[in-house]
Amino acid sequence: MKTLFLKDMRYRQARVVLTALGITVLISLILLLGGIMNGMRIQARQYVESTGADVWISAEGSGGAFIGFSMVVEEYMAFLNSAPGLTADSASPLVFAQARPTVRGKSTKAIVVGYKLGQLGGPKQAVDGRMFTRSNFEDYRPEDPVPYEVVVDEKMGLEIGEQITLGNEKVRVVGKAKSLMFVLDTPLLFMDVRIAQKLLLGNTPHVNMMIAKASKNEQPVRAAADLDALETIEARTLKQTLGDIIAYYVDEPMKAVQFLRVMLWLAAGILVGMITYVTMLEKTQEIGVLKAIGAANSYVMGLLLKQVVLISGVGVILGLILAYIFAAAAPIFVAIHLVESIIVACISFIVCCGSGYMAARKAITVDPMIAFRGEI
Amino acid sequence: MTAIIEGTGLTKRFGTGEATVLAVDAVDVQIEESELVMIMGDSGCGKTTLISLLGCILTPDDGELRIDGEAIDPVSEDLSVIRREKIGFVFQLFHLLPYLTALENVMVAMDIAKTNTREAESRAIELLTQVGLVDRLHHRPAQLSGGEKQRVSFARALANRPKIIFADEPTANLDSRQSDNLMHLIQELRREYQTTIAIVTHHEGLKANADRVIQMKDGRILNT
Repeated sequence: MKTLFLKDMRYRQARVVLTALGITVLISLILLLGGIMNGMRIQARQYVESTGADVWISAEGSGGAFIGFSMVVEEYMAFLNSAPGLTADSASPLVFAQARPTVRGKSTKAIVVGYKLGQLGGPKQAVDGRMFTRSNFEDYRPEDPVPYEVVVDEKMGLEIGEQITLGNEKVRVVGKAKSLMFVLDTPLLFMDVRIAQKLLLGNTPHVNMMIAKASKNEQPVRAAADLDALETIEARTLKQTLGDIIAYYVDEPMKAVQFLRVMLWLAAGILVGMITYVTMLEKTQEIGVLKAIGAANSYVMGLLLKQVVLISGVGVILGLILAYIFAAAAPIFVAIHLVESIIVACISFIVCCGSGYMAARKAITVDPMIAFRGEI
Repeated sequence: MTAIIEGTGLTKRFGTGEATVLAVDAVDVQIEESELVMIMGDSGCGKTTLISLLGCILTPDDGELRIDGEAIDPVSEDLSVIRREKIGFVFQLFHLLPYLTALENVMVAMDIAKTNTREAESRAIELLTQVGLVDRLHHRPAQLSGGEKQRVSFARALANRPKIIFADEPTANLDSRQSDNLMHLIQELRREYQTTIAIVTHHEGLKANADRVIQMKDGRILNT
């Protein structure tokens, strides 16, 4: 009777469905938590990598371009543009500041990126509309009134020509940039560095950081080290900056989530194991009956393992599917890695089958009389 | 007559320490081929434990057992072969698999013995017809009465043509009419298959059907 195990499962369909669902939910939760952290890491990297800069310069004592409070006077630009180890005239001033613009009457989170159009720090072209108007002078001058224009992330859903409020000023959306959300789906608003200075830095000739490219015959790490030796600035390579930004924006604030994830792994392992273990142990009476009518241990074990494998397999596959569905529907960016999914699926499957096997083994090794009296 | 079952010094204890119960106490017992034996005694005297030991579904703590001339080593031997080839069991609470129909419950015993499915189905139908359940083949245990379940249980016990059938209180959950019918059926099956039958019961009225009565008290056999 090849379908004996299926008949049993059909008879106990509520239990089978609940067991598989338990496995499904635990697996999807583990993958989702991992996916949220992966998503934050990816978003933390993508803007920084997109700038094309090799060296990131911030104020001395800031702890890095994106970490502490950093205000650098623009006069360093002249020095950086001719600094040895950096590509000539590649340095670019950058304002990178969190803001609460009012969009369609609602206060929303965003990061303002102020840079010089055509230089490092932001997109060179808009995917829709046009880029903002560039200021004419290298420093701020009253005779150079720059219009308040912004290029927004394409995923913000704003229309070209719409106005948003930043500080007390109205800023007009003139274009949309390819989506480069920052951590936790924070959209980037690109504007001329002068406008950013006016709106966010009290109209002072300061920027938060400067970025530059290393010269072709110089290692970025060396160029950054030489600049870092100066007393008034700190310089980091792209790799160091990415490390800082992930540590500051992802790893530190997500320590609790990371801990929760480890706990969830443990809980999931124990729960999934317990579910299958208890499900198998509840079948001891039938195991006893089958043995009493002559079933060999291998026959009973085969019957039980087919059930465990099927329930675990279905639970694991549904868990993977559910995790990807939740990831797609989540209000934040969730990136579930395929390799991670496969590892989680394999470990869960092994835990399920292992605990099912242990329970089945325990049940089949006792006398049938003891088993069907439920005394194990 | 030849003894088909010989138990010598069979002993079984349950529990540990002060809570230990000596369920069967160094019992010597013999059952002859084709004999119908009733094992009787008060509740808790060790009747069920004794037939469980004799039927190889419980390992004795001490003693020796021979079935059909073969010495049984319950520790190292795979007893499943003996259980499916020589023994049929009928339980007080029937112990039918709830997810199978009457037909499938009988067939599963033959499936375990690796009987061809078609052959198993035809024999299961034959046995269920014999026990008067031809119109209940596709009913699940939950849809059968106590007497019907017990008859399915008998058909399952007979499926692999065993030499011995052990029945533990087969009439305990039946009314007197069902009990009489069952005993009548047991006698018929015994005549047809020449099967040795050992029945545990406390039902004095069944004594008349037995070739021999084994009386038990406190884990020991009083007289046979």
